[in-house]
Amino acid sequence: MKRLLLSLLLSALCCTAALAEEQGPEELIRSVAGSLLQKIGTNEAQYRANPSLLQDLVRTDLLPTMDVRYSARLILGRAGRGISEEQLTAFADTMSEVLISRYADGMLEYRNRDQLEVLPLRGELNEKAQRVRTRVRTENGTQIPVDYVFRKTDQGWKAFDVVVEGISYVTTYRNQIMPQVQEAGIDAVTERLARGELKLSE
Amino acid sequence: MLICALAVAFLSACAGTQSRNTDPINDPWEGYNRKIHAFNMGVDRYVARPLAKGYDTVTPAPIKRGIGNFFRNLNYPVTAFNQIMQGKWQELGESTDRFLANTIFGLLGFFDIASRADLPYHREDFGQTLAVWGWKDSNYLVMPFLGPYTTRDLLGRSFYGYLHPISYAAREGVYWPIPAELIQLRSELLPLDAEIDAQYDPYVFIRDAWLQRRTNLIYDGSPPELDYEAMLEDFEE
Repeated sequence: MKRLLLSLLLSALCCTAALAEEQGPEELIRSVAGSLLQKIGTNEAQYRANPSLLQDLVRTDLLPTMDVRYSARLILGRAGRGISEEQLTAFADTMSEVLISRYADGMLEYRNRDQLEVLPLRGELNEKAQRVRTRVRTENGTQIPVDYVFRKTDQGWKAFDVVVEGISYVTTYRNQIMPQVQEAGIDAVTERLARGELKLSE
Repeated sequence: MLICALAVAFLSACAGTQSRNTDPINDPWEGYNRKIHAFNMGVDRYVARPLAKGYDTVTPAPIKRGIGNFFRNLNYPVTAFNQIMQGKWQELGESTDRFLANTIFGLLGFFDIASRADLPYHREDFGQTLAVWGWKDSNYLVMPFLGPYTTRDLLGRSFYGYLHPISYAAREGVYWPIPAELIQLRSELLPLDAEIDAQYDPYVFIRDAWLQRRTNLIYDGSPPELDYEAMLEDFEE
């Protein structure tokens, strides 16, 4: 009995130690991407039949590693000055739902052909922000550079931008959404995003 | 839009730069550009996209890959010339090795054996050279049928005729490679259609994506970092 208690205590200690030693951005990418691809690989038919299951998976596995509120603030820029916390949260949540569904679609489309390679971290940005460079190998053998930009938060490292071939998700949305918010207001834009009305009338 | 799409492809393949501050867009001719953009989208919807889809459906994947490799290999003379203009000697060696290997042992470029040997693919053109020489900022310009450009890159494109095998063939009266390459490039972009259609403002999306990718090419994959801090200050002020 004493031995059991002792081993329980020890294992508890180990766990806390492991938790305290937080994952760096590079390991985060490796572990999250690895587990996502593995789960999709083993249940592919199921996910194809029911895309909302895959969206749930992306939501539970990927979302915790992202700082969607920070991305939202960058996207809104000066158009977001003076909005309330609730408005920011609603906008950020809606943006992340849009992303999740697109990401889930993309994973089904490309999973079979692609390989992910995480390049050695370069000492860029600073101790509070880091860029992880990856390469995705596509069907025709070319490699697409996909970078993730992380920042250090109280809850560990979180990604807030994805840069594909130099094209930044934050910048690209920022230039589309900022004028909309300035014109129609944050609530209207959030509502339109949520309804899937992404397109402007011609 | 063929062109737009092509340009986004060229995103995947080709040049305009922007200074990397928070509102980097250099688009004083937006009114004109949007009109041409709308025209191009129509051309794409009714001509280019259907052709590319048809080609994509009837062509087996290995053949498509081979044709894509073949056309990519043909970019070598333009790339090599501009590597010399920019003094990129190591890249010139790699591109030359790649071209020789794929041309001689890969059935005129149909098989990309160089990638299997991990020889990197570089893409240079005159627009990039002009940027490296100091013409960093150039106005965004949408061309009918041709899609996204900047003034600088359009000027750069005009030198193509003397070096690119496809332009050379056209000068000799052989025109079919031009539509053939366009359909191939457009088919490679088909997966992007959903992305573009889902955008709030496709014009802005294509413009920004194209300009950012162009900057990325000019800096060979290591452009100056985005100024996230400044974007945040925008919000907080």
